[in-house]
Amino acid sequence: MAVLTERRPLGDNAKAWALNAPAMVVIALLVAYPIAYSFWVSLQRDNLKRPRAKRFIGFDNYTALLSDHAFLSALKVSALFVLVVLGLTVVLALILALVLNERFRGRGLLLSLALLPWAMPGVVNGLMWRTIFDAKTGALNGLLTQLGLIDSYHAWLTSGTGAFLFTALAQVWNTLPFAVIILLAGLSTIPSELYDAATVDRAGAVQRFGQVTLPWLLHPLLIVLILETMNAFRAFDTIYVLTGGGPGDATTTIALLDVQTVLTFTDFGLGSAYAWVITAITLLISIGYIGLLYRKGNFEV
Amino acid sequence: MELNRRQILKYAGLGLALPAASPLLAACSNDKSGSSGDGSVKFEGWDYEAALVQQNLDNFTKTSGFKVDYTPITSAQYIQKVVAEFTGGGGADALYVYDDSLAAWVEGDYLQPLDGMPGVDEVYAAIYPGNAEAMTYQGKRYGLPYYTDSNCLIYNSEILAKAGLTKPPASLEELEAQAVKIKNAGLLQYPIGLPAQLSDTWWAWVWALVFGSGGNLFDDQQAPIMNTSDTVVKDVLTWLQDAANKSKVLDPASLQLLPVPIDNAMKAGRYAYTIGARYALRDYNDPAKSKTAGKMKMALMPSQDGKEHGTVSNTRLYGLAKDTEVQDNAFKLLTYLGGLGEDKKPYTAKFWFQQRGLGFAYQSMAKDPEVTATLKKFADPVIYAHLAEIAKPRNVLGVAWYTEFETEMHKVVQGVLSNQTQPSAAVASLAQTAETLKKKYS
Repeated sequence: MAVLTERRPLGDNAKAWALNAPAMVVIALLVAYPIAYSFWVSLQRDNLKRPRAKRFIGFDNYTALLSDHAFLSALKVSALFVLVVLGLTVVLALILALVLNERFRGRGLLLSLALLPWAMPGVVNGLMWRTIFDAKTGALNGLLTQLGLIDSYHAWLTSGTGAFLFTALAQVWNTLPFAVIILLAGLSTIPSELYDAATVDRAGAVQRFGQVTLPWLLHPLLIVLILETMNAFRAFDTIYVLTGGGPGDATTTIALLDVQTVLTFTDFGLGSAYAWVITAITLLISIGYIGLLYRKGNFEV
Repeated sequence: MELNRRQILKYAGLGLALPAASPLLAACSNDKSGSSGDGSVKFEGWDYEAALVQQNLDNFTKTSGFKVDYTPITSAQYIQKVVAEFTGGGGADALYVYDDSLAAWVEGDYLQPLDGMPGVDEVYAAIYPGNAEAMTYQGKRYGLPYYTDSNCLIYNSEILAKAGLTKPPASLEELEAQAVKIKNAGLLQYPIGLPAQLSDTWWAWVWALVFGSGGNLFDDQQAPIMNTSDTVVKDVLTWLQDAANKSKVLDPASLQLLPVPIDNAMKAGRYAYTIGARYALRDYNDPAKSKTAGKMKMALMPSQDGKEHGTVSNTRLYGLAKDTEVQDNAFKLLTYLGGLGEDKKPYTAKFWFQQRGLGFAYQSMAKDPEVTATLKKFADPVIYAHLAEIAKPRNVLGVAWYTEFETEMHKVVQGVLSNQTQPSAAVASLAQTAETLKKKYS
């Protein structure tokens, strides 16, 4: 019979590494490697239509962006899209969260309904809004005609401004519930004594909101701002289905341009550079949010 | 050796994992199925009527004696998947090719020329010149025809008759005038509908309008001429802008319509005119699918001067992989699918036309009594054949930047239709785009 040697027990650090190693290997293979590889590809001239022309070009793909009309236009559209979507989302989510934080009959049903859009995939969301905005059979045209607000059916998505605003609206509808959940969770952590104390101090509703609610919501708002900015910057499916980026360049966001560059034009080098620019911009904005809001959200109760 | 519980579990785990891992590892390799040694041919195509394709391939296998491994690929991802396969070194032996992709796939070393192979000269002599041109790249022939189509003016004869119109328009001016008459008669608010939402597919109707008036966007050296020697493009864009914004006969909703909604609108009688492929008439005139069946007709493309000039065609072809290890068998398959049989007749081309009405490249088929009998059910065989004779492919397909140009062109035309871009600025922008792309790809 083999003699059993007593093993030295692993230290806490070693155990932690051993337990996390499988997950770290999977993350390295499925996340870190593709990200690093995409950066490497962005430094190449790599269009599958011209495999013989493939070569390392350093940061040429990035410097070319400064004079790339399509990129600059898409960046402008994306920035505006983020501003509109983010502004609408934060305001509407705050209102909805404040309403849903109150106790009233039917609150559960309203909460469930408010969360429904979140369960809808972007493509389905796009298709649904496309049906609503349809120039011939759309529900929006039907509603406005029945209300007597318009005389005849309109093609809502054919003007640049119209297409942009309606696309932003469709995006807000899809992402709003997530922001509501985060803010609702934040609201539920506010001690009721603070409101009681504020009421005793004769603070009105607006003052209570400004002096109690808002400071307590800064951290949840930070999360909403970061995630919704990322979402709006990467918005693709809803826009693709609704307008395809048109009319003209009116709704061609940087994410749409990126997918088109990689999958339609098979230009993997330039497409990867676009993707890294999106990442860098989102990162910078997130750092800005954290710098502005994180410290303000730290306070003693 | 004694086994403890831990060792038993370890070996059992390995035993289970190996069979599961083998297919995964095999899938990661670049092994070509054609090299399996039994001579079988790996064949790929987009997923149009996959069951019918398989039925036809089964018929081929019975006589050829070797197997064809057919893989249908989702149409929307066909190009991307084929490119990914060939880039990874595991492409098919024979495959469908869009004429739009031919140049890129030749440059990518995916395809080999068919020059000198048995029966190829005969095929190229038997097909319409436009189709032969579309399958030729830098003087070499790269395919046998799968199907083809050309664009025409499609109109609803019943609506025209109600407006007192007895014949389709020959000129663009006449088309607009007829549409105004239909509008004024209260029959339709917008008599003309076009698929003008941005998408990844080419806008055949723009090319058809330009070719229909004898113009072109590029010269034979693929240099842009739309802003210099060719004035047709600007005139066509001006006509489009006027039709959309002045006479208001072109539906502004076109900007949010893809081809399928346009088809549905035509079948519901919501438009009197559109520009589309001849193939669409089969669907439009099918009583099971269309309310306007029997009333939909085709006409030559209206031109600026009312004279006949031409139209645009597209060609889908069967290509042979450059690195195939079963070249002889793969070429036999190609000949069966796109070539002429021993009786010198194009068996599969006729099969597709009779089964699904797909356009044919073979000139002889236009005179085949069975074909004309089928054609009469949905189109005028004389106009159908004449369109094939005068159709030509886009002469810019051979450049690597074509897809980017086409995409940009859609945006510019949308700008013209929505009155945001003037035609002169539009042609200048198109020329600038072409020059920029040329420089980028040089």
